[in-house]
Amino acid sequence: MASDKIIRVILAKVGLDSHERGVRVIASALREAGMEVVYLGCHQIAEGIVRTVMEEDADVVGLSCHGGEHFSVGEIARLMKESNLDDVLLLVGGIFPREDIPELKEMGVDEVFMGSLPGPVVKYIKQNVRTK
Amino acid sequence: MKKKDSKIVGSNLEQEQARKTFSGITLKELYTPEDVQNIDYDKDIAASGEYPFTRGIYRDMYRGRLWTSREITGLGTPTQTNERLKFELESGARGLDVISDMPGQMGIDTDHPRAKGEVGRLGASLTTLLEMEQMLDGIPCDQITFVFDNSPAHLASTTLAQYLVANEKRGISKDKLNFTIQNDPWHIFLCGGGAAGEERPLNLALKVRTDVLEYAVREGIQLYNQVNLYDMRELGVTAPQEIAFAFSIAIAYMDEALKRGLTIDEIVSRTAFVCSCQVDFFEEIAKFRAARRMWARLIRERYKSENKRSWRFRFGVHTAGCSLYPQQIQNNIVRVAYQVLAAALGGAQAIVPCCFDEPVSTPTAESHRLALRTQQIVAHELGITNVTDPLGGSYYVESLTNKVEEEANAVLRKIEELGGAGEALRTRWFDKQGEKSSIQHIKEIETGERIIVGVNAFTMHEEKTAGSFHRYDPEAERMVVAQLKELKQRRDNDKVRKALEKIQAQAEQSERGDNINLIPAIIEAVRVYATLGEICGMMRQGYGYTYDVFDGIRAIY
Repeated sequence: MASDKIIRVILAKVGLDSHERGVRVIASALREAGMEVVYLGCHQIAEGIVRTVMEEDADVVGLSCHGGEHFSVGEIARLMKESNLDDVLLLVGGIFPREDIPELKEMGVDEVFMGSLPGPVVKYIKQNVRTK
Repeated sequence: MKKKDSKIVGSNLEQEQARKTFSGITLKELYTPEDVQNIDYDKDIAASGEYPFTRGIYRDMYRGRLWTSREITGLGTPTQTNERLKFELESGARGLDVISDMPGQMGIDTDHPRAKGEVGRLGASLTTLLEMEQMLDGIPCDQITFVFDNSPAHLASTTLAQYLVANEKRGISKDKLNFTIQNDPWHIFLCGGGAAGEERPLNLALKVRTDVLEYAVREGIQLYNQVNLYDMRELGVTAPQEIAFAFSIAIAYMDEALKRGLTIDEIVSRTAFVCSCQVDFFEEIAKFRAARRMWARLIRERYKSENKRSWRFRFGVHTAGCSLYPQQIQNNIVRVAYQVLAAALGGAQAIVPCCFDEPVSTPTAESHRLALRTQQIVAHELGITNVTDPLGGSYYVESLTNKVEEEANAVLRKIEELGGAGEALRTRWFDKQGEKSSIQHIKEIETGERIIVGVNAFTMHEEKTAGSFHRYDPEAERMVVAQLKELKQRRDNDKVRKALEKIQAQAEQSERGDNINLIPAIIEAVRVYATLGEICGMMRQGYGYTYDVFDGIRAIY
């Protein structure tokens, strides 16, 4: 269960697609829910995201994928594991078939949100964030 | 008496729905003659085909010519895109519409490290003349109209060059071509074009954009330069904002072209628009009517055009992608159908519907065909094409048209106070409006004030996506990249180098204030199989930017 510590979230878009509307709305909702959010922007690469997670001592990283590049998420999951960031929640949202969800989870994604309203994302984070 | 069905999971029907349009315009219960008593029919509405064209830009509208039906297409290898285009023509499409993949949009080649996993995914790969030739194989470009949704200026310039040269080589001279390029680089900065953190190269984009338009006018090429209202709406802004934001960008483009010595009529003869069509049925129809009237007044009164043809707001409609949801995905078929109907009742010259499966993936051939059938049913079975502007005269629709126009004009004035579209982009004012509207929109869904069937009402648990959907083929990327690498080896690299150096030199000269239209040099480069990444890189270097938008690779010349 979450303690009183403020939850720190890193959000980013991977790949070349630039449809940011969804991730910006999530950022706003998470901030309103009292979390500290850093949105890195579009075109982020795995190493950069993971480095920021470490530097910011983040509790959650959320990735937004629109163009079928969601499998590059696997690289991020791998890097996080190698960097001992297993306790950081890895969340994915965007546009892809529901059928890909099991494979994403196998790669190390904690939860996947498709076409989601922010409410369930906030709830999930509050219930599952791991205190350090 | 409200009906409650306890078996429906998550239904929010008990909540009172707001009595406003999608964009927040308050609505009365009933509209009467009183609501339209101040309207002067001849001055404010007029017949279709007559200024200010509220009712349609042609007298006979669809009796004279049905709208052009198109589907946005682009996938896999150029040959795979070609196959889908031919399939669409066989299925009754009256025109074609291609969008480039993300590497093309960003200005990088398919063999760039950052292109990995992105080639042919969200669009067609058109790196060189060879890909364009492969994509056009067997397609009669002198008989059908093409639209290229290639917004960034570098891409508009290479697409123009590739389309001209590819057709010239097949014996179709440029005077036989009638096509559209979405030459709208400024709006794409709003939608994330350009690398994250990179300063928006507004000046370079505007220069190249104007080069494309100017070249078309001076060479007598029937190329429409499409201004995009659609993507504004995808950002989350309202209907009045959709018109105002895009008009302010169009104004900036026209003002720049006027500086080159083109006349307003020459500029407008090569200008077209693409609007969104969202779900609020009557607001969208009112929006199209308001846009027509606003444009007519703008061109005649502000720009002093005396040519009636220039007063006409010629537009296509792409139905709103953001109105579609992955939950109960087949519901989107219904949403799109109503949006197609609204576009037709609104008098669009072209309709480009989304496919129902787009919340999940690029459309399959079947979903492209279904979208065409949707248009064909609206066109041939519903009887709505028999009469022009059938909703004209409705107390509601005329009032709403006035209201949308009034609000759009207020936003346009605000943008002008800020200093115009350039300033609104530089200061991220446009971005902030989009973010504000998006957040508001989501809140309305969360509270149930805005009902979305399948999302916050009539929800159900779903194990799998209904139907089949397109799967990306990694083999296509391998083939495209291998072909490009091989092409780079066998082309005459000496000629390529010379052609690219010329582009950079001319860009440098232009940047110093002595403008040269880059299109002739780009055509020469395209002819010898220079790539879009190389051409884009040379223009960027000429203006003092890094060769590569990601600053990851260096120019080889």
